[in-house]
Amino acid sequence: MNARTARQWMVTHEWMIKPMAQTEWISGKGLLVWWAEVFSALGTGLYLVSIFFALREEFAVTAFWAGILGWIGIAIFKLPLHAFYLGKWYRFWRAFPPFSKAWRTSWFARGIVMTMIFLVFGAIQLILQGLIAYDVADSSGVWAANYVFMVLAGIFGVMTAVYCGFAMSYCKSVPFWNTGLLPIVFLLMGVADGLALIMGVGMVTGEDVIPTAESATRILLIVNALLIIMYLVNANYQSATAELSVKELVRGRVAWVFWLGIVLLGIIVPLVVSVVSYFTGEEASTGLLVFAIICHTIGAFSLKYGVLKVGIYRPILPKGRAY
Amino acid sequence: MRWGMVINLAKCTRCHGCIAACRIEHFLPLRMTWPRLIALETDDGFSVDVSTYPVRCNQCKEAPCVEVCPTEASYKREDGIVAIDSNKCFGCRYCVIACPYQNRTYLSRKRNPNYFPEHAKTGFEKKGKQIYPHQVGTTEKCNFCMERIDAGLAKGLKPGIDREATPACVNICQARALTFGDLDDPNSNVSKLIREKNGFVLHDEYGTEPSVYYIDYKLGGAPSNKAPIEAQTGSHIQHLSSVYAPSKEKLAKKNAD
Ligand code: SF4
Ligand code: SF4
Ligand code: SF4
Repeated sequence: MNARTARQWMVTHEWMIKPMAQTEWISGKGLLVWWAEVFSALGTGLYLVSIFFALREEFAVTAFWAGILGWIGIAIFKLPLHAFYLGKWYRFWRAFPPFSKAWRTSWFARGIVMTMIFLVFGAIQLILQGLIAYDVADSSGVWAANYVFMVLAGIFGVMTAVYCGFAMSYCKSVPFWNTGLLPIVFLLMGVADGLALIMGVGMVTGEDVIPTAESATRILLIVNALLIIMYLVNANYQSATAELSVKELVRGRVAWVFWLGIVLLGIIVPLVVSVVSYFTGEEASTGLLVFAIICHTIGAFSLKYGVLKVGIYRPILPKGRAY
Repeated sequence: MRWGMVINLAKCTRCHGCIAACRIEHFLPLRMTWPRLIALETDDGFSVDVSTYPVRCNQCKEAPCVEVCPTEASYKREDGIVAIDSNKCFGCRYCVIACPYQNRTYLSRKRNPNYFPEHAKTGFEKKGKQIYPHQVGTTEKCNFCMERIDAGLAKGLKPGIDREATPACVNICQARALTFGDLDDPNSNVSKLIREKNGFVLHDEYGTEPSVYYIDYKLGGAPSNKAPIEAQTGSHIQHLSSVYAPSKEKLAKKNAD
């Protein structure tokens, strides 16, 4: 037996001795978690942006369709993807009250409950929004009810957007995630994604949402870039394991995801497109906007992939306490 | 009452007996491991030093795995044991990630082939399926042999004292490196060991309050507990030499010193 085969046989000896990357939520079937989380960000982001646009009557149709797409992102993509990931998907109901009181402590359980409530309130709001957008019923009563459900669905939409960040930041086992900044990063990146996507919806409906969405995108992308820098700097000084995650993300095997996906396509390209149109005073061409939207969406996929992929466990032994 | 275990690192001879005992006791699937024997190797260029740590679920008092479980499949018993109800677990693996000690394993189809993958199930496996069924798609971990404890207590036996009521790995340990007992009883064998030999837990800064304690010379600092060099048995040296071939002479020299 040569040394290499012997080492493979003794694989238990290497368990948690050195920092070890989590694989459950990113490898094999775990890729479903990644996709579910991306749809969570895109869906909630688009829905939340849609309710802001719904406040203005001239954007009613765009807000309606954007809201529908956001809702579909959660109901048809995020939830089923999460369910398929489960080892026993048909026990899904076990996470819901009254079958479980786990929502008291578990962010996962809270998230599932919040998502379901969001979907119910969101569906009602979208029906009301549809009535307004297509002039089926435009009374002040419908407007008032729409506002009420906008607030309710908005609150639960925000919770749906942030719970995944909280679920991850709860894990002391993975220092890179174990920070309160993570839910904020996920929420704001999701809203920025929503702003990009609503421009696409606006192009189809013909309503002039692009200037408003672009000016908001400009600010949000700059805020997000600063937030990501802050997140990485914070992690870098938090612990040796978190520092290792940062290194892996910016210089390691997934560096291309970070620099190409998150930084270039997710932030720089959309920012350049919106800044150029700001200085030239002209709207970007349709082709350029579509390109920026696609880039932004790739950025959303890259962000979740990068963060999940470099989730590294702190070693188990006291010798590794420095980690 | 809070069941706990003390692991004397100086006595552990790295025989893997505890790993085997647990596998047999619970008919563990081929690629499933509840306890592990992990080794921290330090090589200063002159001598190779390998500290071995038998690890298993710490049955934490403040268990993150219980807190995160969305189905309440992971629960804490009154005697401090953290257990999993595999009929409730839906396999989200949140607990696997949240356990700071990585003591949980998800039983996937890949981890559950026949013991001889190209062949039919052995009689042992068939019996195991009836006696201790494991559910693919759920998460598993060491449960302090709670079935033995419960059955033993029902017969009026004392876990940690009477073999029939004591965890299988503790029973098998030929070096008596593992001790089991009640942490809440100041006069129990485990409480005394922790007190007298500076017992410590892994990563106490997490605030998880593990029920598995370790004692040794290097980390615990109790001089009476210094590992005798003969604890590194011949078979162990042989095993190491096959893993780290270049260090054979260094180890031989160390033993001669
Ligand atoms: S060691 Fe891990 S699995 Fe065991 S009780 Fe503690 S957190 Fe849970
Ligand atoms: S894998 Fe099972 S035991 Fe673990 S958190 Fe999910 S439902 Fe609970
Ligand atoms: S206490 Fe029982 S279940 Fe836990 S490792 Fe030992 S034999 Fe396995």
